[in-house]
Amino acid sequence: MTTTDAGALAPAPTQRKRPIGLLLVAAPVLLVLWLIIWPIISAVIQTLWLPTPDGGRALSVSSYQFFASDPYSRANLAITLWTTGVCAIFLLIICLPIALYLRFSNSRIAAYVQGLAIFPMFVPSIILSFAFIRVLGPNGTVDLLLNSVGLPKIKSPYLTPWGPVIGLVWDNIPLTVLILLSGLGNVSNQAIEAARDVGAGRFALLRHIILPRISNSILVAISFAVLGIFSAFTLPYVLGPAAPEMMGPFMQRTFRDLFDPTNAITQAVITFGFCIVFGLFYVRSVAKNRTP
Amino acid sequence: MSAPSIKVSQPIDWTGIAFAVILTLVIVFPLLVVGTWAFTNVWRFPSVIPQEFGLKFWYQTLARADVWSSITMSLTLATTVTVLSAIICLPAAYAFARLDFPGRDILFFSFLAGHAFPKFGLLVAIAGIFLQLNLIGTFWGVVLIQLVGTLLFMIWIPVAAFQAVDRRMEEAARDVGASPLRVFWSITLPQAGPTIAAALLLSFVGTFYETEGAWLIGAPQVRTLPVLMISFINNQPVIQYGAVLSVLLWVPSFIALLFARRVVNSGSFAKGFGA
Repeated sequence: MTTTDAGALAPAPTQRKRPIGLLLVAAPVLLVLWLIIWPIISAVIQTLWLPTPDGGRALSVSSYQFFASDPYSRANLAITLWTTGVCAIFLLIICLPIALYLRFSNSRIAAYVQGLAIFPMFVPSIILSFAFIRVLGPNGTVDLLLNSVGLPKIKSPYLTPWGPVIGLVWDNIPLTVLILLSGLGNVSNQAIEAARDVGAGRFALLRHIILPRISNSILVAISFAVLGIFSAFTLPYVLGPAAPEMMGPFMQRTFRDLFDPTNAITQAVITFGFCIVFGLFYVRSVAKNRTP
Repeated sequence: MSAPSIKVSQPIDWTGIAFAVILTLVIVFPLLVVGTWAFTNVWRFPSVIPQEFGLKFWYQTLARADVWSSITMSLTLATTVTVLSAIICLPAAYAFARLDFPGRDILFFSFLAGHAFPKFGLLVAIAGIFLQLNLIGTFWGVVLIQLVGTLLFMIWIPVAAFQAVDRRMEEAARDVGASPLRVFWSITLPQAGPTIAAALLLSFVGTFYETEGAWLIGAPQVRTLPVLMISFINNQPVIQYGAVLSVLLWVPSFIALLFARRVVNSGSFAKGFGA
């Protein structure tokens, strides 16, 4: 990862320390403290420091015990982990070939493929959900086409665990391709040609030359996807089954429909726990590319 | 990816053709289906093409009060959030780019904090705070939650813009007696302007489509266009209403697409995501 190209910025201007700068940045920094840092701290405190029957509060892990002992909560966590894992695998299987093709091709078709791969970024997930239902839902376009050639209807993925998987993969293709493509920029043509000269085949090239050089980018892409998918709300809510549900819809329902903020926040803290490694790795990678 | 200047007879790019066909089927085709539904008066199973095309459902959709009120709500929200974000973020971005002050680096990176956590979990934690402040179901609750979502872009992109301004031109203007404000207005702003405009557009479009915060904090009192779209998908038997709304809803994204394509294709964009 070099920081010398377009992503890097000029070093800080050398001036004497002027506290007026603090004044100018105060508003957004306070907003971050109030609406990001404090809610996270408060969420942990609130779910561990529970009200007692006699009106006071005491240290207790009972809300976490409830989550761990409740079969429905556990099923929701399991389906979330399954969806996240399956999506991450599919994203790699789909996006790595696209990125490799884009990196090593200079045909005119490559520009079209790149345009298409980035296009989902400009389609809001709610429109995607609607399109999904119209195409793959019951009596959707795929059914119409199959029916017209005399084939049976498909078993629709709508309202099954595969619904969110298809939607989330579709939604995450652009950034995964862009991140992998940016990583492939670090693989020099000389390295490839040198390996070819000594007779390396395509797969040897991929395994020994390309993959070691882009392993960091693959991890960044996976981390970004996991952070987005683990607590995704809109696509699982619209396309997924009612039960078990993914953590996003589960938290929303617990908070708004069951009016149970303590358990909703407990679920949120549990999602933080499962994603913390990916989150820290992702933030570290972004920070490394950017000097203020 | 420029075409080679010497004409070499290249073999047919079968891999590229395969990718192009598959991606067209998977990415463009579903959206074309939605577009077709929006201009369809009658389309009954099992006909492959609609029985009757027409604008009937455009008139019906646009005659609905809930559609207009949510369009107004979405535009008001996105404008309010973008203006507020500009007011608090642009001076901060200028300070990060040009001034040195205690804690500059750590404060600059503090805006990443929100990205280290799964988003909806964070929203639920914020909603826990809003519950105590009675901000659930209010316009300003939604404004606040969406404002937080714009901070990173609205500070990091303008910082890069201010740092890219040619300092020698500013100094030359100062040398011939221009006041600092005059220099900022006549030299700095015009050069940083296009990038800052892109950040503003990004923040407007991002807020316009923000669904999760609006649904968790605002619904049902604050109903934005995406929130209305969710209820159309879940409860509306007339397919065309959703299709027409999808086309309407896509307009801001289309505008963003026209302006942002070049930015997105450049390597620095992916680097901003940690690539």
